Amino acid sequence: MDEFLNFIKSGKLAPLKSWGTKWSLWPVHLVTACCGAELAHAFACGYDGERIGALNYGIARQTNLIIVEGAITRKMARVLKITWEQMPDPKFVIVMGACGLNGGVFWNGYNLVRPSEVVPVDFFIPGCPPTPEALLRGIRQLQKKLETGEAESSAYFYDLRLEKGKPPRRLPGVPKKISAAPSIVVNRPRKVDWAFGGELCEKLKVLRVESVAITGKNRIALKVSADKLREVAIELKKMGFDHVKSVNVVDVPGENKFIVEYHISSYSSKELMPVILNVFAEVPRNEAKIDSLSDLFPSADYMEREMQDFFGISFKGNPWKGKFLLAPDTPEFPLRKEFKLQEEIYVGD
Amino acid sequence: MKEIAIDVPVEPPKELESLFLPIPKEYVEEVYRNDEFLILVGPQHPGSGHMRLIVRVKGDVIQEVIPDPGYVHRAIEKIAETRLYVQNIPLVERPAIMDSANLNLGYVRAIEDGMDLEVPERAKYLRTILAELCRIGTHLYDAAILSVFLGHTTGFMYPFGIRELICESLVKMTGARFTSSFIIPGGVRRDVSKEILDWIYSATFAIEKRLRSFERLFIKNPTVVARLKDVGVLSKKEAIEFGVVGPFLRASGVEYDVRKVEPYEAYDKVDWDIVVADDGDSYSRFLVRVNEVAQSLKIIRQCIAEIPGGKVISDQICEGNDIRGEFFEKLAGIVLPAGEFTTLTEAARGSVIYTIVSDGESNVPYRLRVVTPGWLYLRGFMESLKGERLADLQAIYGSFGYFPPEADR
Repeated sequence: MDEFLNFIKSGKLAPLKSWGTKWSLWPVHLVTACCGAELAHAFACGYDGERIGALNYGIARQTNLIIVEGAITRKMARVLKITWEQMPDPKFVIVMGACGLNGGVFWNGYNLVRPSEVVPVDFFIPGCPPTPEALLRGIRQLQKKLETGEAESSAYFYDLRLEKGKPPRRLPGVPKKISAAPSIVVNRPRKVDWAFGGELCEKLKVLRVESVAITGKNRIALKVSADKLREVAIELKKMGFDHVKSVNVVDVPGENKFIVEYHISSYSSKELMPVILNVFAEVPRNEAKIDSLSDLFPSADYMEREMQDFFGISFKGNPWKGKFLLAPDTPEFPLRKEFKLQEEIYVGD
Repeated sequence: MKEIAIDVPVEPPKELESLFLPIPKEYVEEVYRNDEFLILVGPQHPGSGHMRLIVRVKGDVIQEVIPDPGYVHRAIEKIAETRLYVQNIPLVERPAIMDSANLNLGYVRAIEDGMDLEVPERAKYLRTILAELCRIGTHLYDAAILSVFLGHTTGFMYPFGIRELICESLVKMTGARFTSSFIIPGGVRRDVSKEILDWIYSATFAIEKRLRSFERLFIKNPTVVARLKDVGVLSKKEAIEFGVVGPFLRASGVEYDVRKVEPYEAYDKVDWDIVVADDGDSYSRFLVRVNEVAQSLKIIRQCIAEIPGGKVISDQICEGNDIRGEFFEKLAGIVLPAGEFTTLTEAARGSVIYTIVSDGESNVPYRLRVVTPGWLYLRGFMESLKGERLADLQAIYGSFGYFPPEADR
């Protein structure tokens, strides 16, 4: 077996083999994130990546190149490794996009993995997103590496000299101001010119709510107690509100509470269409439980599961248990305020 | 037809344990006991972006589909809490970069709503042009991915050829092919010259001409019609119940478009129609978007013809007409008043919701909630698969234009 491998790698026909590999770099279909849009452009009729022998192909076992398109999340890292292991030798990895290099815009996110920690990377293509020209140049660099055996950077860095006589430019310091004891009010009333809103508020006041406030044009906030949430939702459904647009949780550790919000709206009633009701309830942080509305409004189901992942709130009545959006190894309840992300360093300080 | 059952004990294969299925073990066993199978579609599949579908089939008829999203979950909501309001503009457009202007617009409108900023008319028209260009681009992108799903390579090449014109327009207007971050609180980054707008005006006719040949080649192609017609039907009632959004809701016969229901920017000043279909099948979902492209072209032409002069950035932000050079001083310190601000914007794939919760003292959002269209119609997408053949899964997937990076955020 070793003899055979040696023959392939350095025998008489070895140059033929490397020439063949050079012109048939087939990337596997592993569109990991949004850079895939530029990858598609590179292989469509505008740039035509096929003319340099690269052709996207669906099945990992018949390809020899992975183009990692941007961010690799904790869930995707496992898939990247499995795909890489399935591919026959020789195989190469090109990482495209700033997220793949060192995180890019998402550098301090909790769910990102550097692809270079998962698979051996041959070339990086920076950019957010890199242009199709840059991607094709990355493939050309890989071809050159196959030809000469040496990886070479195609980036050229100019020598920058310090300018004398000029005062150095003052960089701004940390511009962030973060309140130490924030007070969160989600139903702050606002004065707007909206006649229908007044009528609607009168109708809503009859329900068993704690307070009704107009928070903007077409926006009404209803405060309910956590145990009445379901009753109010049933009444709202009778009024013509038929779907949930968003389920939101606001963590307020200073007051030891979660604010659970359902943004409810209507598709079937013409006059209710623009209205978004923010039905919210407060639950204590240490006993975060609330009734699920997923059987009344099936559109809330996946968003409740998401909030369960993010905040650790259990929605009584939602049958889903375990993680939905997050990977098994993601930190627990990452959107709670006590989970802190790394802060950036400002040069001006 | 009579069903024949053979009493052979079937055990779920051992490999299922190593695949990190998010479903309980009992569910897997129950499926196998009922003489059914679990088929895992993805995460590595020919679509754009990745997700896993756990498909429960009997024979080849789909009984239930459990989605396993989160392969492109990049924690936008958490990261936004650590950045300034303006630093979040590039962040919020990353979920779907082909639709960057619409996602950007929704976030900026939430800030403007909070700060009561008055946007100049010219900026509103420029924003509308940008948003519609991105809408056309996204619909073409989805049409191309649909044809990849159907195995129609030429159908992939044509929309991407047309998309080059869109990218060119965006480069001329904003300087970037995809991620322009051109829309900022109070207006847009800079004025766009008349020559560029004229170029875009003539490009709309080039797009229209090329679309006609795409129509002959793909949209009215009998094989495409046969694959998509009467497949993955969502009735009007179901679409409302599962909270489907955007063109997919309109394909089921609901006349709902945020641009009409709650008009923003220049949409109430131009003349255009909501595109609605009644069938709710994959083909009408595709056709609605094709016709929306025609409407978008119409909007762009009207906007360019009627665009008023004047400033492109609000007086409340900047005295001059060009914010370049003083962007940081003017915008880094913006603080929203305390409260909650929710905006609804019609992105290409449906309504996108931004909720900013501010404490009134910090210049970073206390909480930013982003709900993208992909995440909203995922439930409807899963329901529409029920009762279909396994071979039609790709056609339905493509007809929804489901884009996991957008859905997972």
